Amino acid sequence: MTVYLARRALQAVAVVLLVTLIVFGLVRLAPGGVTTAVLGSGSAHQQFLAQYLTWLGRVLSGNLGRSARLNESVGALLAASLPRTLVLTGVSTLIALLVAVPVGLLQAVRRSSTVDHVLRGLTYLCYGMPPFVLGSVLILYFAVDWHFFGAEGPQAAGIGGVLADPRDLTLPVLTLALVTIAIFARYMRSSALDSLDQEYVQAARARGGGERRVIVSHVLRNSLVPVVTLIGLSLPQIVGGALVVEILFNFQGMGWQIWQAAVNHDVPVTLGFTLVIGVAAAVGSLLADIGYAILDPRVRISRP
Amino acid sequence: MSGPPSGPVLEITGLHTEIRRNGAAVRAVDGVSLTVAAGECLGLVGESGCGKTMTARSVMRLLPAGGVITAGSVVLAGTELTALSERNMQTIRGNDVGMVFQDPSSSLDPTMQVGRQIAESVVVHRGASRAVATARAIEMLSLVKIADPERVARGYPHQLSGGMRQRAMIAAALACEPRLLIADEPTTALDVTTQRDILDLIGDLRAALGMAVILVTHDLGVIAGRTERVAVMYGGRIVEQAATSAVFARPRHPYTEALFEALPEMASSRLASRGLYSIPGRPPDLVTRSPGCSFAQRCRYVRDWCATHEPALDGDHPGHSYACFFPVGVMGQGGADGQGGADGQGGAGGRNTLISAWVSGRGRQAAGREATAVPADPAAEPLLRVSGLVKDYPVAGGVLGRRSGAVSAVADVSFELLAGQTFGLVGESGSGKTTLARLLVGLERPDAGAIVFDGADLAAMSARQRRQRRSGIQLMFQDSFASLDPRMRVRSILSEPLAIHKTVRRRGYRRQVLRILDEVGLPADAENQYARAFSGGQRQRLALARALIQRPALIVADEPVSALDVSVQAQILNLMRKLQRQYELSYLFISHDLSVIRYMADTIGVMYLGKLVETGPAQEICTAPGHPYTASLIAAVPAVVTGPEVTQPRPAGTLLAGTLLAGTGQPGMTALPGASGPPVAGPDPAHPPSGCRFRVRCAFARDVCAEQEPALRPHAVPGQLVACHFPLGPAAAGQVAGRTAPSIA
Ligand code: SF4
Ligand code: SF4
Repeated sequence: MTVYLARRALQAVAVVLLVTLIVFGLVRLAPGGVTTAVLGSGSAHQQFLAQYLTWLGRVLSGNLGRSARLNESVGALLAASLPRTLVLTGVSTLIALLVAVPVGLLQAVRRSSTVDHVLRGLTYLCYGMPPFVLGSVLILYFAVDWHFFGAEGPQAAGIGGVLADPRDLTLPVLTLALVTIAIFARYMRSSALDSLDQEYVQAARARGGGERRVIVSHVLRNSLVPVVTLIGLSLPQIVGGALVVEILFNFQGMGWQIWQAAVNHDVPVTLGFTLVIGVAAAVGSLLADIGYAILDPRVRISRP
Repeated sequence: MSGPPSGPVLEITGLHTEIRRNGAAVRAVDGVSLTVAAGECLGLVGESGCGKTMTARSVMRLLPAGGVITAGSVVLAGTELTALSERNMQTIRGNDVGMVFQDPSSSLDPTMQVGRQIAESVVVHRGASRAVATARAIEMLSLVKIADPERVARGYPHQLSGGMRQRAMIAAALACEPRLLIADEPTTALDVTTQRDILDLIGDLRAALGMAVILVTHDLGVIAGRTERVAVMYGGRIVEQAATSAVFARPRHPYTEALFEALPEMASSRLASRGLYSIPGRPPDLVTRSPGCSFAQRCRYVRDWCATHEPALDGDHPGHSYACFFPVGVMGQGGADGQGGADGQGGAGGRNTLISAWVSGRGRQAAGREATAVPADPAAEPLLRVSGLVKDYPVAGGVLGRRSGAVSAVADVSFELLAGQTFGLVGESGSGKTTLARLLVGLERPDAGAIVFDGADLAAMSARQRRQRRSGIQLMFQDSFASLDPRMRVRSILSEPLAIHKTVRRRGYRRQVLRILDEVGLPADAENQYARAFSGGQRQRLALARALIQRPALIVADEPVSALDVSVQAQILNLMRKLQRQYELSYLFISHDLSVIRYMADTIGVMYLGKLVETGPAQEICTAPGHPYTASLIAAVPAVVTGPEVTQPRPAGTLLAGTLLAGTGQPGMTALPGASGPPVAGPDPAHPPSGCRFRVRCAFARDVCAEQEPALRPHAVPGQLVACHFPLGPAAAGQVAGRTAPSIA
């Protein structure tokens, strides 16, 4: 276990370093003014490696450069937008897991029944619909027509501030969660179908375990093993969904900021945020690996 | 040791089970009646698709989707199981009936601790607390002779070897001390020596716990000497049922007889011109019910009467019943009147000589000796000469995945193969035989040594040069399903190698494909089908065709028949021998099954942990092995040989020391008699023992065996080489079984 995790952590660090290197390369490629803006004056004469190391040192100490357009440091922008995005993706992923795992399991156990067909239709619908269409439909009914929820994301700052505004938070979270549920439930269904076919499930039944016991103690855990990996792999999809949702709901998180920066050619902000998202993705997949190791003893414990 | 003479534990009457799927109903079990008494072991034999597994699952009421019991009754100790509610049925499963499955690598949950799985039934049925459950799991593990049970209970299935997993599976099935154990092909996925240990274990536990056992198997060898009675199934019905000794001494149903004759053990010699008897055709599909005897299409004694009348299961002898109008061995009928042998293979006359050769047990050895008097010219240049071949696989370890050691898969192996001959390679899994095959066909590069084929050293060639020469050696896999792309049509599968090697012009492909299909006995219209539509035997024919289409001189066949039923196995073996004669082909034939090897091979090589420990002429090695390991392999082969002394049930309990383990103190659980067998440990190729690699399992090991590695030295017969400091003399051959059997752990 420790060896496995240490190896994965090393890989994650390597990925992060690679991301910084790519971002740094992009900085160097950008027009001169930008390079100076990000790297500071006097940098033009230094060697690549020296430049990179100085830059990396600065990044590590939290200095990601300044946005000339907004006249603010990238770090400050990040501090304002990161909590919002964390709440959005975190809450919707959590909801998605809590819904998708039982839904997928139910579909597998009741394979080819009406329940399965209806749920399958619904997940296909959510999966196939682009997030902005789904979000727009939700806004149209729940916000414009019925006034249940706000049409814009919460504008308050900080994690606490965002969570304190459930009326505005509901629709963005719901949109992202629906898309994510659709992805996860399909994974879960096929994975649980696989497990149900295994001989150890028969063997557990042959020992007299009731159906509920067999499913909870044998099928569930075995089905989650591949699902956890798939969740790690679908992180980019979730982040991409978050970007669209933030723009649609004018929810000023990281996705929204990046979009603004990209539209306005605000290079330091774009690069700084890209860097943070890259690191977040590496950490996310490390978390998925840890979950994988916890669920599957074949990973955790090597053969004697 | 026959069971106590009490009433039946299980009584099945007129059982009908259907599997309904896509509008069709498969009558998987079609009127089966049988009884099993307490302490009795019943063997349920037949090829796949004959309904034996479905009968077993009907008892447990664990049928696949669409499965229903449509008629009949299953009474277990006075309780009618077919009428029970699902909830009540759950109180029977695991409590009164335990079940062991075929494949121990998939019947244990990989994410749950072994101990928890073993104790699951105790928790479910007795409401045992965690502590009691753990204690019971440890007790059960020691009962099935697993060393260090505390540690194994805490571990996970992937940490155990196949044999140990099957032991754990048995422990789980027996945790509640059921009255009946159903073992569904419990040893099919295991090595011979492990197979023997597991069967012994089941036998010992049966005696110790006084339970009834149903042993479901396709392997007649497994039945011999371990069951009191046998029921042979065909087409969802029982076609013959009798005491095991009676069936072995005198099978009455033509299907039973055919099953016996298809066994490679039955061939009197490798060079006998007659092939193994193979049952033509395939088992009935069980969807459409045709009038008459269900075996009629494949029966060599069939008469007009059989096609219109259905034989009932009765017999001329109390206790021996069979469903046939013209049973084997009745004068003026069946085999004796010359109607048999319609396919020209093994007629009725052949059968009688076989039986007599087989009853005496010695006859076939004598026959074998005479026949081997046709060795090839020793001066001839061999087609293949392997010398000093070495292959290590690095083992990665540590955080950075650096090489931390090596598995010695093939260690200094040398042998020769003459054109037109067969070299049979035997060994358990992990012995390196598959690696050797991969080295020969160029899928792996050796670390040292030479592979001289047809005058050129393949080991010294670059991958590219090898690819150009590759067509001289072809590989035939065990699992042709995995090696044949299921989305490709047969035509493309077969013409692909032609296209790669450009041996034939494009226009000639079709003719080549048709010719080769004909040669391997597949219909011409098969060319438009997909491989997935084929049965196991047909896929093996296709694999053979694919290897053959490039006109190789040598085919390396890795376990080509181990996944097949006996009768299909016989067809493939016969086909391979026919093609060998026709094309002067050489085979390197790899198998864990010594009787198959003996039937096919001129020369045998025995591998153990990467080493060739013995090699020499096939018949001689099988009758007078020089290496203790070879001897133990031979002793472990289940004997199909009949005779009064063999069919007696084996004395059980020899391995049970009779010491009593402390009971767990839980009501309803008695203490089980303990077992003190040798600790179970498989060979570990990453850390082979010093000196002789076999020494940890060898009964004759002495100090010198740990210090000095034995070299291959000439032994009793010319051509026989043995790597052992204390080889068995020819005198020992007669008592091989008795002397060396217990040495394998
Ligand atoms: S009844 Fe006829 S067809 Fe059936 S097994 Fe007997 S002889 Fe063969
Ligand atoms: S060399 Fe020694 S340990 Fe090895 S097989 Fe011979 S007697 Fe046994």
